[in-house]
Amino acid sequence: MRNLLSFLTRTPVVAALLVALGVAAEFVSGATVQIWSFLLVNVLLAQSINLLTGVAGQISLGHAGFLGIGAYGSALLMKNFGLPLPLTLLAGAAMGAFSGWLLSFAAGRVREFYLAMMTLGFGMIFYEVVREWTSVTGGMMGLSGVPSPGLRTLTLFGWSVGPTAYFQIMLAVVAGVVWLLRNFVTSPFGRAFFAIHVSEVAAGSIGVPRARTKRNAYMLSAALAGLAGGFYAHLVGYLGPETFGLHRSVEVLVMAVVGGLGTLAGPVLGAVVFTYLPEKLQIFAEYQFMVYGLILLLSFVLLPRGLAGLLLPRPRFAKDVAPLPAPPPAVPKPSGSGPLLSAEGVSISFLGLRALDNASVTVGAGEILGLVGPNGSGKSTLVNIISGIYRPGDGRVTFDGGAITGLPDHAVARRGALRTFQDPRLVPAFTVRENVLLGGHRLYRQNPLAAALNLPGALREDAAMLGRADAIIAMAGLSHLADTPVRDLPYGDQRMTELSRVILADPRLVMLDEPAAGLSEVELQRLGGLVRHLKERGVGVILIEHHMDFLNELVDRVVVLDSGRVIYQGGMAGMYRDPAVVAAYLGTETQPGEAVHA
Amino acid sequence: MRDPLTLTLSPEGRGKKKDDAMQFVLQLVFAGVCVGAVYALIAMGLSLTFWTTRTLNFGQGSLLMTASVATVAMLGAGMPAALAVPLGILLAGGLMVVAERIAIRPLLKSGDSMGWVVSTLGLGIFLQGFVSSVFGSQAIAFPSLVFDSLDSVDVAGVQVSSQYLAVLGLSLTLMVAMELFLRRSAWGRAVRAVSHDADAAALAGIPVRRVIVLSFVASGVLAGIAGVMVAQITGTVDPSFGFNLMVLGFVAAVFGGMGNTAGALVGGIALGVIEKLVGGYVSTAAEHGMAFAILMVILAIRPQGLFGRKEFTKV
Repeated sequence: MRNLLSFLTRTPVVAALLVALGVAAEFVSGATVQIWSFLLVNVLLAQSINLLTGVAGQISLGHAGFLGIGAYGSALLMKNFGLPLPLTLLAGAAMGAFSGWLLSFAAGRVREFYLAMMTLGFGMIFYEVVREWTSVTGGMMGLSGVPSPGLRTLTLFGWSVGPTAYFQIMLAVVAGVVWLLRNFVTSPFGRAFFAIHVSEVAAGSIGVPRARTKRNAYMLSAALAGLAGGFYAHLVGYLGPETFGLHRSVEVLVMAVVGGLGTLAGPVLGAVVFTYLPEKLQIFAEYQFMVYGLILLLSFVLLPRGLAGLLLPRPRFAKDVAPLPAPPPAVPKPSGSGPLLSAEGVSISFLGLRALDNASVTVGAGEILGLVGPNGSGKSTLVNIISGIYRPGDGRVTFDGGAITGLPDHAVARRGALRTFQDPRLVPAFTVRENVLLGGHRLYRQNPLAAALNLPGALREDAAMLGRADAIIAMAGLSHLADTPVRDLPYGDQRMTELSRVILADPRLVMLDEPAAGLSEVELQRLGGLVRHLKERGVGVILIEHHMDFLNELVDRVVVLDSGRVIYQGGMAGMYRDPAVVAAYLGTETQPGEAVHA
Repeated sequence: MRDPLTLTLSPEGRGKKKDDAMQFVLQLVFAGVCVGAVYALIAMGLSLTFWTTRTLNFGQGSLLMTASVATVAMLGAGMPAALAVPLGILLAGGLMVVAERIAIRPLLKSGDSMGWVVSTLGLGIFLQGFVSSVFGSQAIAFPSLVFDSLDSVDVAGVQVSSQYLAVLGLSLTLMVAMELFLRRSAWGRAVRAVSHDADAAALAGIPVRRVIVLSFVASGVLAGIAGVMVAQITGTVDPSFGFNLMVLGFVAAVFGGMGNTAGALVGGIALGVIEKLVGGYVSTAAEHGMAFAILMVILAIRPQGLFGRKEFTKV
């Protein structure tokens, strides 16, 4: 079964199947063509919610709203203004995209169940508006007389379009859309969607702007649903509000969840299952709502990766291109005089607790700075401020000759200051190579359209990035694991993957938050090698670490923090003798004559 | 989805010609305060599970609907109201235990909210489908239990429906009682401890599992009571009348910040009054659309609620 299905997903096989379907439509009954046409609408819809919910991780419980906007938009433009089919379909998709764009401003501010509730509310508003805006939508009576192939009232360039021709047009469009989607999802833009899905903070740390990326996901997804709506409107020739209620939103979600969220084959499988079941099984049609409920209730426990996860091999999240040889790394020239990074007088408080108090730190190009201090002394907070996750209450951060104080994290990363986290934050379903490729995000020059069309320029850039990624993976000693999903890997390998991801970004400054924690002796050696490699390339490195022997071998200088204040700066050797440092770690000696209570 | 809480003005309300307009406004406001108190009650039910598990049941509305439909069925079978109503409400509490066990607990491990949002929604859809297949999807008449729908009293010159008044009184009493229980009793303090830090509560010897289950039962019971009260006002129940109410309860809950009781009460009442005023002056059809729009605006502008403090997430 698995072999058969994976054979069916190969491009030439898919192309042959599509042509066969298109030809077969000429010979099968009208009822069959009708079901096939509904199937295509459902494929588009399932792909639409999958892009938003499965790929970009933004749950949608009101997807019928986008479908309805496209359906009513396309139907009304043709019925009232006589616009031709291609234009009404495009307009339906554009109206969907516009509503997705609008919704993203509200939805981008919330996540998790708040987002779920908001999208539920969106679907309900749409339903209420359609039901009550009688003069435009026909209200509860519905909108009839939409030009439709079934009634022979649909024309295209003066020709009457019958059900079979309409199906063939849909087949071509849906196939084209899915092909574009596949290219897009395996491009840097698609990987950015997955990065946002897993961790917005980690995505920001590699230069993915979260608000814009989510907005794009909403727009694209809603455009697909709008297109599906346009096709649907002409397919049935009649629109009523009940078609676009909660029931439809749930059905769309069921198709994507059962098919397998996050894959492209999954939504197709889901659409096939839930187009045919109600047609073929009377009992299913009768208890449809209950069955959908049960499926949603149980599928995340019983079938977490859907039918695609069960039946198909793991999908790829990078394009299948031959890697170009990696060029020798160029040593960048500093663009300003003075240190690469300087943080001056930085302070921040959380709920009254002063986490950093007038702390100042500088790092030069090619310098390795150790950041040391007891737990809670403000080391990670300082890195969070430099990398743009927190906004300092006071103080100034300059990097590479420009002020970065208060810039959002993705903007800091885009300028070349990158970081790792105490707990590796990777995309679990991605392989090591795909995770490392995420690091290249700030370097890509291709545009989304070129990526979706697989234009030669985009493919060349992908090949070059792949070559560089493979070279870094080799340097990190991970070549034998490059095609293993990171969720199957031990902690140490995940850490090295995260560091490789940062190196691919061609950084100027790298901040590592306790990189040695939990690493074996061999892994420590390799980690040290990578840090030295960065230093040789003129990269500044900030190393938060408790492992003193490891630091001793690497650092040029250390800064010691205690209770948010810098208490020592200088060499490692001097640190051990400094009375303030000793006091911070071991406590103060009691003064002679002071009373000691047992 | 039918509109469950369309205002039914009592015929006397429009009688006096002189201050007709004033009467109308006051009646709308009063009706808004009453349904708002019910929203607040639903919000409190959502807050309870939010406190203990950071989750809420997206099928809460269907649960509420199931409780009231079951009550009607039992009344129809000749059971006295004194028995049928408590049983219906307890059914909602029991269903919440099921929801926690199969729709929430297995999905908390993943750390991603999508799992339990989808599974509790699934439970709600299932209940809705189940009730429609047993009782049909038509509206079923819900008998008046205490007052007749036409009973009214005169409060400061305004004709006020006795049923609305009873609903308001009962909602406020329940909310005060719940709040006192949570602040004063040992179980209430345990709920607060689990809400603050479940691991630390477990270390301190608090039976965390039992507290969580209890919070779900209480949440279901509150939903059940709200369901019966709404049914008293509307006079009918049908399988789809719960979903809107769940969303409206959520709007009340986020108004003051998730988990803030006073905020939920203010939020519920404000929402109810706005809805009724829109219903009275614009169109009853626009009532709920307005409420959903308010939801989106609040979440977009202040996701932590109007009184809530920003939740602090450590990176």
